[in-house]
Amino acid sequence: MGTKSSHESMSAALFGRTRRTVLGLLYTHPEESFYVRQMVRAAGVGQGAVQRELRRLSAAGIIERQQRGRQVFYCANRRSPVFNELHSLMVKTAGLADILRQALEPLADGVRVAFVYGSVASGAENARSDVDVMVIGKATFGDVVQTFHPAEAQLSREVNPTVYSPHEFKAKLAAKHHFLTSVLKEPKVFLIGDEHDLTGLAEK
Amino acid sequence: MTLQDWLKSSWLVAHKTSQQEIHGRLSVAGREMVDAQVRGLSVDARFGHAYNAALQTALAALAAAGYNVAKGESHHYRGIQSLSYTIGYDASLISKLDKLRKKRNISDYEQAGTVSDQEADEMVQIAKDLRAAVKAWLRQEHPDLLKG
Repeated sequence: MGTKSSHESMSAALFGRTRRTVLGLLYTHPEESFYVRQMVRAAGVGQGAVQRELRRLSAAGIIERQQRGRQVFYCANRRSPVFNELHSLMVKTAGLADILRQALEPLADGVRVAFVYGSVASGAENARSDVDVMVIGKATFGDVVQTFHPAEAQLSREVNPTVYSPHEFKAKLAAKHHFLTSVLKEPKVFLIGDEHDLTGLAEK
Repeated sequence: MTLQDWLKSSWLVAHKTSQQEIHGRLSVAGREMVDAQVRGLSVDARFGHAYNAALQTALAALAAAGYNVAKGESHHYRGIQSLSYTIGYDASLISKLDKLRKKRNISDYEQAGTVSDQEADEMVQIAKDLRAAVKAWLRQEHPDLLKG
C-alpha cells in the first residue's frame, strides 16, 4: 500500500530542495514561464542557489531560458527527450501530488482512497486546467474543500474535488454510473491508497 | 474591501429594492428548496434546485443592502462572494459554496454525473442554513423590507 511517508520521501530522496522546487514548478506548468524571483520565493533558498540550478538545468536542455527585452524567464523544455518522463515524475511527486497529499493529511484517518484524475493526471493539462481529485471515504465536501484551500495557492491551480462515501461509491459502480466508470478507466495519480485499495472498495 | 469598493470597480450597481422584490426572491428560493427535497429526484436535479435557492437567497441579501450585480459580471460568482459583506458569512462557507458553484458548471456543461449524493445533501444543507441566516439578518438589519 502506498503510504504517505514513502511518498513524501520520494521527491526529497531524488532531488535536493532547490532542484525539486524548480523542476516541480516548471514541469507541472509546462505552458508557463517563470521569473527567477518566483522560483526563489517558492524554494525559500537564496537567489544564488536558484541561479546555479537554472544554469545547470538549461545547459542540459531540461529547461529553457527565454529573454524578452531585459527580462529573463524559464520554462520546461518540451523538446527535451526526457520531457514526458520528468513531467510525469513531477506530477506524481514534488510538483503536485506531494502538496495535495500533505493537504489531505488532516483527513487521512477517514479517507480510504484519493486520487487525481482528468487532464493533469493524463498529462494533457494546459495553463488553466484545474486539478480534479476524487476522494472516497468519511469526509464531507466542505472538509475536503477547506483542506485543499491553501494548496490551491501553492499549486497556482484550482482543485475540484468530488467526494463519495464508500457506500455510495460501491453502489454507483454497481449501477454502472457513467462518470465513475469512465474515471476509473483513466490515468490516475494516487494520493491516498492505491489501485488495489480502489478495487477493494468496489468489491467489498 | 467593501460593497462600496465593488461598486467603484463596476462589479455592482446601486439598486433600490422593495418589499416585493425581497419577498419575490425569497419565495423563489423557498420553492427551489421544496423542489430540492422532492422524493425520487435525481442527484443532479436535487443539487441544481438547492443551488438555485442559495443563489437567490444571496441575491436577496445583496438587494437588501442596496446593490445588484452589474451586467456582464458573473452573477453567480459575485452573488456568492458578496455574502461576506452583506451577512458577514464565514469565509470557509463562502469557499465551499463557490466550489459548489464550480461543480454545478462542470456538471451542467462539461461532464454530467460529477455530483455525488453526499455533495447534493451538503448543498441542500448549506442552502437551508443560508436561508435561515439571511432571514435572521433581514429581521435584524432591514425589518422594513420584510412583509409582516
